[in-house]
Amino acid sequence: MPTVRVEPDGFLIDVDPGETLIEAAWRLGYVWPTTCYGQAECTRCHVEVIAGAEHLSPVGDDEATTLHLLWGRRPNLRLACRVKLDGDVVVRKRGVRGPG
Amino acid sequence: MTDQLEVTSGDEPFAMTGNTRVPTPRYYDPSFAVLENERLWSRTWQMACRLEEIPSPGDYVEYTICDQSLIVVRVDRDTIRAYHNACRHRGTELAKGSGSFRGGQIACPFHGWRWNLDGTNSFVYGVEGFAPEPPADLCLPQAQVDTWGACVWVNLDPAAPPLLETLDPMPSLLDPLGIDQMRVVWWKAVTLEANWKLAMEAFIEGYHIMASHPQLTQGEGEEYDPNALAYSVHQNGHSSYVSRPGAQRHHRRQVDYLDEVESLIESSRLLCDGLEAMTLPRDLHVIETLRRRPVGENTSLGSELVGAIYEHAKNAGIPLPRLAPDALARWGGVFFVFPHYFVLPQYGNALTYRFRPVHGEPERCLLELWSITIPGSGEDHGRPAMQGPFAPDDREHWPAIPLQDFSNITRQQRGVHNQTVPATRISHTYEVGIANLHQEVDRYLAQPLSRPT
Ligand code: FES
Ligand code: FES
Ligand SMILES: [Fe+2]
Repeated sequence: MPTVRVEPDGFLIDVDPGETLIEAAWRLGYVWPTTCYGQAECTRCHVEVIAGAEHLSPVGDDEATTLHLLWGRRPNLRLACRVKLDGDVVVRKRGVRGPG
Repeated sequence: MTDQLEVTSGDEPFAMTGNTRVPTPRYYDPSFAVLENERLWSRTWQMACRLEEIPSPGDYVEYTICDQSLIVVRVDRDTIRAYHNACRHRGTELAKGSGSFRGGQIACPFHGWRWNLDGTNSFVYGVEGFAPEPPADLCLPQAQVDTWGACVWVNLDPAAPPLLETLDPMPSLLDPLGIDQMRVVWWKAVTLEANWKLAMEAFIEGYHIMASHPQLTQGEGEEYDPNALAYSVHQNGHSSYVSRPGAQRHHRRQVDYLDEVESLIESSRLLCDGLEAMTLPRDLHVIETLRRRPVGENTSLGSELVGAIYEHAKNAGIPLPRLAPDALARWGGVFFVFPHYFVLPQYGNALTYRFRPVHGEPERCLLELWSITIPGSGEDHGRPAMQGPFAPDDREHWPAIPLQDFSNITRQQRGVHNQTVPATRISHTYEVGIANLHQEVDRYLAQPLSRPT
């Protein structure tokens, strides 16, 4: 099962096949920033991809529209509520709180 | 049941005054459409979505009718709710189209208020800035919701009688055929330049087959017996037609039987290619095996066909229910479920239709078609998605039979404006279902609304 390492805290999140990163985090009890709850509208869930970008699902229409809203439009930003993965990835995301 | 239902004649505009005329303004008058919106669609049960569109908790489908919008949500394995699609803060629509609410939350995009899947409010941003409200007033208001025939049905009227009461007797006719086990093969939509009732009428009668679908009469032309189909009207506005019982002949001589087999193969191929539903390629293949199937004395093609279909179903792991002869006779029939749904069952398959008016445009409607089938073992059809709407003359996306129907419907809609056509003329035999539809509409229109508007 692919694992995401979330810097700077070093959280390790196992993501099921077909599951998005934010849903995996929620399933495991993490608090992940959001306002729209997975509707690709609020941008708050976004992550900066540090390694393993080739393991991420392609950017869909709704994700692309929302990513355009992000300041700087850096190419390595993705929405945690849209990315699925088929291999290990390292991302940077502040504001994630661990389970418990 | 074929007895004539009592005729309503009220003060409503353009009311039906018998069962052989339909006043044509019912198909285009804007005030008539407004009345339908207020008194019919506001309190009749409607097919909102198929169950397989919302398999998991959080999955939702938006259902719109006239200017109203509901979100049909799967709350958990056993619970489906239909919420009015409007924020309790300042009314913003909470969801569009279809999708999944994640993290168990329905969030308003405007100011971020939120609800749990069960409709209770879970978050008001800056709650201290609002006068205290009773929590119940912040819950999402619900419409009535129930399920039948693998579909979710909704009713905007909290006082409406239960779904199954209103659907009666259609479930008793269709349930034995296994339609609740069927899953979507394809789902397509078309926008028709016609009133929703006028468009539906072309599917309530088979009287048009001779002239509109000449390929289906196999060259019989005007010799094609209009009484080969038996029409029934039912209570609650429903109606149906099936092949007249006894139409199947018994064959003694092998040569006659084989001719009959060839003609069945030919007509099945025309249906399979012309509709891409009801008779699926796998069924056509089964029907072709009748050429080689040994037959006994005094057998009928009908019973051989049924035998072959069941044999194939058994081998393919298709749980086709065992049917009594009266239920078998419904294969190939057309069942209209008032106000806007059709089921055309055939073997382990069906074609279903749903019609909806386009809001504010009495001469436009949206028609959706679903080809559904009982899946064989190991087949998973997944979550279906609508294709289209395609234009009514789009030959790439519509096979022959719908193209023929769509073209007549738009021509008739223009024709009913003609000053010489104050009313259409309705057969008391072949078109009883049309009069029955309009009379049921009138029964709704005759009842003033009890709820405050
Ligand atoms: S959760 Fe809002 S954009 Fe991803
Ligand atoms: S309108 Fe929905 S939160 Fe304001
Ligand atoms: Fe037709």
